[in-house]
Amino acid sequence: MFANRITIYQKLLFVLLFGLFTSYGVHAQDSLATATTDNADGGLAKPSDEVYNTGKTLWEQNCTSCHNINAEKKVGPGMKGIFERRDRAWLKPWIVNSQAVIASGDAYANKLYNEYNQTVMTSFAFKDEELDALLDFIAYESEQEAVVVTDTDGGNTVAGDSGGISSNYFNLLLGVLVFVLILILAVLFLMVTILNRFLNQKEDLNEADKEIVNQKFNPFSIFQSRAFLGGVALIFVLVVAKTGLDGLIGVGIQQGYAPTQPIAFSHKLHAGMYEIDCGYCHTGVYKGKSATIPSANICMNCHNQVKVGSPEIQKIYKAIENDKPIEWIRIHNLPDLAYFNHSQHTNVAGLECTQCHGEVEKMEVVAQRAPLTMGWCINCHRQSAVDHAEGNEYYDRLLEYHEGTKGKAPMTVEQIGGLECSKCHY
Amino acid sequence: MNSQAYKIFTLTAVLGLWFLTSCQKDPNDPGTEFAPQMYVSKPYEPYTQVEPNSLNPKGLNLRNPAENTIARRAFSPEFQITDSLGNTVKKVDIMYYDIPRDDAGRELASKVLRNPIPINEKSLAEGKVLYERFCASCHGAGGAGDGKVSQKYAGVANLTGAAYNKLSGGHIFHVITNGKGLMWPHGSQLNADERWKVVHYVHQIMGQIPAELGSKVKTEGAGSDSTKVSPKTTEAE
Repeated sequence: MFANRITIYQKLLFVLLFGLFTSYGVHAQDSLATATTDNADGGLAKPSDEVYNTGKTLWEQNCTSCHNINAEKKVGPGMKGIFERRDRAWLKPWIVNSQAVIASGDAYANKLYNEYNQTVMTSFAFKDEELDALLDFIAYESEQEAVVVTDTDGGNTVAGDSGGISSNYFNLLLGVLVFVLILILAVLFLMVTILNRFLNQKEDLNEADKEIVNQKFNPFSIFQSRAFLGGVALIFVLVVAKTGLDGLIGVGIQQGYAPTQPIAFSHKLHAGMYEIDCGYCHTGVYKGKSATIPSANICMNCHNQVKVGSPEIQKIYKAIENDKPIEWIRIHNLPDLAYFNHSQHTNVAGLECTQCHGEVEKMEVVAQRAPLTMGWCINCHRQSAVDHAEGNEYYDRLLEYHEGTKGKAPMTVEQIGGLECSKCHY
Repeated sequence: MNSQAYKIFTLTAVLGLWFLTSCQKDPNDPGTEFAPQMYVSKPYEPYTQVEPNSLNPKGLNLRNPAENTIARRAFSPEFQITDSLGNTVKKVDIMYYDIPRDDAGRELASKVLRNPIPINEKSLAEGKVLYERFCASCHGAGGAGDGKVSQKYAGVANLTGAAYNKLSGGHIFHVITNGKGLMWPHGSQLNADERWKVVHYVHQIMGQIPAELGSKVKTEGAGSDSTKVSPKTTEAE
């Protein structure tokens, strides 16, 4: 009976607590709901998740390459305030086929088309509900400007600032250290002078002590010793010999040659930072003898739009306008007596550009990394194993014979005639 | 030796050392050549020239081809597919010069041009190499328009997006050759047969190529071997 009563009490308590929690939960949900409407700032309420996500996917896959969600222009206008400028009935046919709207003689469409240098907006064959979802997404998201902007720009500035702060901090520390060192030197010098003066004033010093106190240290006496003289003479002879030998060996070798080019083109920026493949500009490198220097039309693939105002880029424009070629300075000069073919090395042997040219993607100004001497060529031909194409019967049989005579040792370029004089000299 | 001689000798030696070691090589100086007449080519070479050419316009060894010239290789209306021993297996028509470069031409190309290169793992792998070399810096490795250059060059198309992923091979070929909208022509960088291989690979990115063939190439491409597969069908050496 007693125990039963307790369970009733427990049940009562549970019901009470449950009621409390649920009412609190409802209250919390209420406040959440008000928060979202507040967040929309009197504008449109957030569309349902399904609509929002459909719109978001469509936006990200199709629109972001040309439009910003904020007011900023990209290729086309920014989306902020789009519904103040145009209504849905106008926007839908425009997205589906902008050229048809222009052709229909719509004044606003024609004005827009001319304002953006007659850039044709791609046609998107969306269904009507997709268009609605996309426009709902844009309507909602274009008013939430802060989110998109701070995401990209904010991140960058923070990273940049932190880098600046740390280097400033380092400089400050260095300055303080130097200052402290100078202070210590000054104090030491002061102490020496004071001690000297004090000792000189003392009467009871004998002659020997006085001499020690007042002695002048002559640092130049060292330079007159025989050992020093011998050392200097030896170093002098060695340096003269090394300079002379280096000069003689270096005749005809241009390693380290890094001339200033007519246009300050940076491989570090193009090949390094923007990861443009070497072969994009040097189109001949997999096809022919020369890797080729890109003609101006290849520069223009990007620089019709990128950094057009820069004085260096303007040099390309001048060259095109005046029909005058850009006189790039050739860096890697092989003598005419040696034949070299790029495609044989890149396409057939499969070498990477960096194996001979060094890390060009890190060079602001390109320098010749390899010595390009005959010894350098031959060394590589002796060491490199031939990587023959799969399924090439000629090389399959050659490898068979090779393994018959030389065992499992890799077949080098030398063994298939890579050191024959006439391969390169003819 | 007296102390005066010491001083003179030391001074000369130190000055001499300073003089010998202070000279840095001028990066603009190519250095000495022992026999320049053996280094510089007598016959005309395209990318090396010391003296201005007295016969050609602007003193250049390089000359533009005569107007209305069509590159010989591409002029050949046939694309030869050869086996490993170089025997011709099949000949395919690759002519496209009678199609105009404008929008109407693109419409036409989209309808009439067919990819002459057979779809197989080899042509897809070669297309992938070429795509990564010529397209990925803007359009991104996956075709989503997110290559590094697209940060600077606004308006790069997302090839996987709904507006593009149904495009025909002829359309893509025409766009690579002649450009469209913000994309400038890339016909000077890729031969016609290379462009068609890129078209295959772009179709694979767009999901137009049957999955089983696509997946095979993808796994193969993941290895380092893929870089070795380069188009052998280009210029004759």
